[in-house]
Order: sequence, then C-alpha cells, then structure tokens
Amino acid sequence: MKFSYFHLMPWTELDEAPQQWPASNQTFDPARGKELYDSYIDTMAFAEECGFDWVGCNEHHFSPYGLMANCNLVGSVLAHRTKSIKLAMLGNLIPLLNPIRVAEEYAMIDVMSGGRLVAGLIRGVPHEYIAYNVVPGESRDRLREATALIIKCWTEPEPFGWEGEYYQFPSVSIWPKPMQRPYPQILMSASNEESAEFAGQHRAMIGMTLIADLKIAQRCINVYRESARAHGKEPTPDDILIGQNTCIAETDEEAKEHLAAGLNYFHKVLMHSIRDAMRLVVQKSRFFAQEQYGERFVNRLATLDARNIDEMIEAGSVLCGSPKTVIKQMQRIQGELGNGRFNLNMKIGNIPDKVVRRGMELFRDEVLPEAAGL
Amino acid sequence: MITFSEEKLDLPTGPVHYLKGGNGPAILHLHSAAGPRLSPAIERLSGKHTIYMPTMPGFNGTPAHADVKTMTDLADLTASFVRATIGKGCDVIAESFGGWTALWLAVRHPDLVEQLVLEAPAGMRTKGVGGLPSDPVERERKLYALPDRAPKNPQYDEVLPGNFKASTGYAGGETLDATLLKQLPQIKARTLLLFGTKEEVTRVEDVGRRLKSAIPHSHLSYIYGAAHAVEFDQPERVARLVGAFLERGEAFVVRAPEVA
Repeated sequence: MKFSYFHLMPWTELDEAPQQWPASNQTFDPARGKELYDSYIDTMAFAEECGFDWVGCNEHHFSPYGLMANCNLVGSVLAHRTKSIKLAMLGNLIPLLNPIRVAEEYAMIDVMSGGRLVAGLIRGVPHEYIAYNVVPGESRDRLREATALIIKCWTEPEPFGWEGEYYQFPSVSIWPKPMQRPYPQILMSASNEESAEFAGQHRAMIGMTLIADLKIAQRCINVYRESARAHGKEPTPDDILIGQNTCIAETDEEAKEHLAAGLNYFHKVLMHSIRDAMRLVVQKSRFFAQEQYGERFVNRLATLDARNIDEMIEAGSVLCGSPKTVIKQMQRIQGELGNGRFNLNMKIGNIPDKVVRRGMELFRDEVLPEAAGL
Repeated sequence: MITFSEEKLDLPTGPVHYLKGGNGPAILHLHSAAGPRLSPAIERLSGKHTIYMPTMPGFNGTPAHADVKTMTDLADLTASFVRATIGKGCDVIAESFGGWTALWLAVRHPDLVEQLVLEAPAGMRTKGVGGLPSDPVERERKLYALPDRAPKNPQYDEVLPGNFKASTGYAGGETLDATLLKQLPQIKARTLLLFGTKEEVTRVEDVGRRLKSAIPHSHLSYIYGAAHAVEFDQPERVARLVGAFLERGEAFVVRAPEVA
C-alpha cells in the first residue's frame, strides 16, 4: 500500500457560513492567510519525513473551502522544499483552463522536481464552471480535447498547430518539456461511472474521493477496469487512489472528537453555499450526461453531511481512530476496493494544525510500518 | 451554395476534365486516390476562392494519357493544366495521393505554387508503416473517424476500384519516393501540413516528421478528431485553418479579431 498526503488548504477563520456563492471575501485577512500558507506548506513538506509516497493538492475557486486557485504554485514551492516525494497535482481543472498553460506549468514542476510530478487532469466539481464561466455541458468534451492537446505538447518533437473544437493554437512548442518520458503519470477522477469510463479510455490512474457507499465505489472501479482493459491497459492496485478524510489520534475517542468538529466546520461552514451552487449547475446544465449521475452526486453530498462519525466509518467514507483502528479500516476498504493507494486528507475543516501534525507522526510511527505491507 | 461546373480542357497529352466553382483567388485542388470529390471543406472555401479540381487521367473512368505514366508526368500535366486554366501561380490544396503530385509540382514548377496545403500526403510513407488495408471495412475505418460524414454519393463508390488502380499505376508500387524526398528542401512555397489526430494511414511520426524536417517553410497542424480524410471528417476545422493560412500567409499564426 502506498500513501498520499493531501491538503485542501481551507480558510479556518469563519464564524458563520457564507450565505451565498461565491462567498464574500470581505473578511479575508491577508496576514492570517500568510500564516496559513506557511503552516500548510510546512505540513505538506513534513509528509515526506513521515514516509508518504505523494503529497497532493488541488484547485478550487471563489470559496474559503480551499485557498488554492492554482495548485501548481504550491507544487512549485514543494519541488524545492522536498527531495523525493512525488508531487501529485490532483489536479488542474482542465476544462476551465488554457491547456497549453497547464502543459507548461506541469512540465515546469516535473523538471524542477527532477521528474516527480503526478499530473491530475481533472474535470472538477460543478460549481467551478460558474467561477470561470465555462458551459458545464461542454466539460467532458473539453477535458477530452484538452487532454489530447496536453499530451501532444509534452511529446511532439517539433512545433505544431492544433485545430480543434474548443482549442485552436496555430503554433505550439513548449519549453520546458517534462523530465518523465514519454510524459508524467496522468490521474483522472472516477467518482462516478461516467468519469470512470472516461479515465479508463485514457489509460489513466484514477482517484476517488468523498465515498458514500463502498458498493457504488466498487462499481465505478469495475467500470474503470473494464474500460482500461478495452483500451489496452491492465490496471494494477497502484492505479487506484482512494481519498479519505482521515483523523489519527492516540485514542479512537480523541480522533472522533477532532474529526467531528472539523467535519462540522467543513460541512456547515465551508460547504454551505457551495452545495447550492453545485445543485444549480447539476439541475440547470448537462454537466452529467445522464440525469441519474447528477442526482447521485447531489445525494452523495447530502448523505455524507447527514451521517455521524460512526456511520461514516461504517460506510467507508473516513478513516478515524487510533493507529490500530485506522489500519483495520484501511484493510477493510482495500479488501472491498482493491486499491493500492490511499490519499489521506488530514486537515479537515478547522482541525488544528498541531492535531494534524500529531496524526502524521502517528501515521509515520505506527500506521505506516504495518499498513505499507497491505 | 456554390455551383460547380464540369469542364474539359484539351492538353497536348489528352483531355482533362475538371470541376470549377466559387469566387475569388484560384485554388488548385488535387484529389486523393479515391478520385475528385467535393468535400464540405472545399465547398466552404469556395465562398472566397475559385476552386479548380482536375480529374487526373485514368480516374473516374476517364482515358489515361499515353505519355503520362509517372508521378513526375502527373506533376508536369498539372503544370500544363494550371497554365492553361488559371494562367499563373496559385495556392494548392492536395489530399493524400494528390499531395504526392503537389510535392512534385512544387519541386519542378515552383513558379506555379504560391502556398501549399498538404492533407496527409502520400509518397513519403515508410513501407510497412500505415497504409490503406485492402479490407473495405477496415479501410473505411482508417479513412473516416466519423463514418456518418463519409461521402455518400454512389457514383464515388462505383469508380473507387478503378481510381485506386489508376493511383497504383502512377505510384509504381512505391510508398516512399526517395528521389522526391531529396528535392524537398528546394520547395519555396510556404507549406501547411495537415494530419488528423486519428490518422493511421500516413502517420505523423513517419510522414509528418519527414516532411516537416525536409520542407523549409513548413508548418504541421493537427486536425482534432479527424482520421485520414480530414476534409470530410472535420470540414469546419479544415476550412477555418486553411482559409486563414491562404488568406494571411505567415501571419495566420497571429489571431485576427472575430467578425460578428
């Protein structure tokens, strides 16, 4: 089993939930922002000392949910703060961005880090399409075309042009090119069956997060496996990354207490207005080609919000407890899903950084020695 | 909708049939081994250009010319055609087999080729790499990424076997014209090389790279979502790019404001 340490970089200073999306930034304090960035980046660099294989981050817009409008900026800092850990950008929201710029920035991170990039090519969650004013119903086709273009940017030996449906670039030749050959590992989301099929078509690794039901997750993984096989790739456990909100403490009780408080802030404050924006996009656009996937997406978030910690543990949505308890939970999920990687998000909501760091130490000293052999 | 007229020109080697239509500066269009076909891309371009599309001798059931047997003969015949119809140099668009002819035309008659657009050209392919399979179903798959957009005219199907035979006769069994390859650096015309992202017949790694490195002022562009027959698979993308290239020359890489 391999492990990724993931960070959302949440804003922790809100007393009440924003009432509409996008969230007003009136109360944002840059000095506190600087402290948070410093602390978060220190923690992410510390992940290397704790034995994690990857350190990951992602992109979100217009919300205190995450302070990473461009995770590549964090990736470039980590390229210099770390030596060997893989830098997992999980990732850039490709349909919202200029694919050439993504190819360039990813190539820069790969070269600066000595070939340590994991390139997340992600469609993103629905409300981000309001932020960057992109037609949600175009998201899948944009992702497909942009992915093809990004790979061309990384692999073409000579300048080339691109005449596509969404992207037209008459003359392209990026500098630098990535260090990894032919190009960095690509990771895509497989959190629903549409996405799983798509990831398999691209022979990518997959990431899943916010699991509400292990059976549904298993179904998505099966779709991915079949799709990948049909496109010439035999997926291994290493190709499957399962994201989990994680809290590790000395005792189960302590861990549950911290996680409950952090999730309360996460769901009631950070997610509050986002949920409405997501629902609006899902209901008023063709973000999901099939209506049932849209309904499932909205229901999944509501389900996660409504559950208590024990129910979340039972459903395979979180890892929470003492090191021994967490190892057992990992074993169970791995048994169900066959994943070879876990992506641990330990800064959930406003869980204090010192609690997160202690959890990382417990992971290093007590979880990893046993869990690595899973 | 532009109307194309069927015309006939008598050259010293024999008659040449051709289609003519459109308004504006002349474009010579050289057809593929499938024969002359008006694609939606060419129809779009005919709004601003006058298209001349000759039928090479032996295609579409027309008589072969006794003195036109090789690719260089075809290029010389094409030069005679341009001089007799257009009367001066012009832009050239060529599909697949027509690209081979166009390359020889640009080498042997540089004064007649102003700007050159080569769509997945033949004659530069390593033997055993790519190529068209004999199985009709597999052949269609390699020609068209979007079968619904393949030309549906039954007349095209009737003449197809004869046209393939005629092209093979001119090519003489070769896939890589080594003599021509050596002379490509002489080409003066600015050249746009078009390949579909689903191209499997004349692969970019093989043909595209070879041409790009040999032709001095060449530019390679991918047509997203197209296989070999780019004009049929993605007519809008082809017409947009080719139109900009022909109209603006080297400045086609500079984005122009969109006209409402």
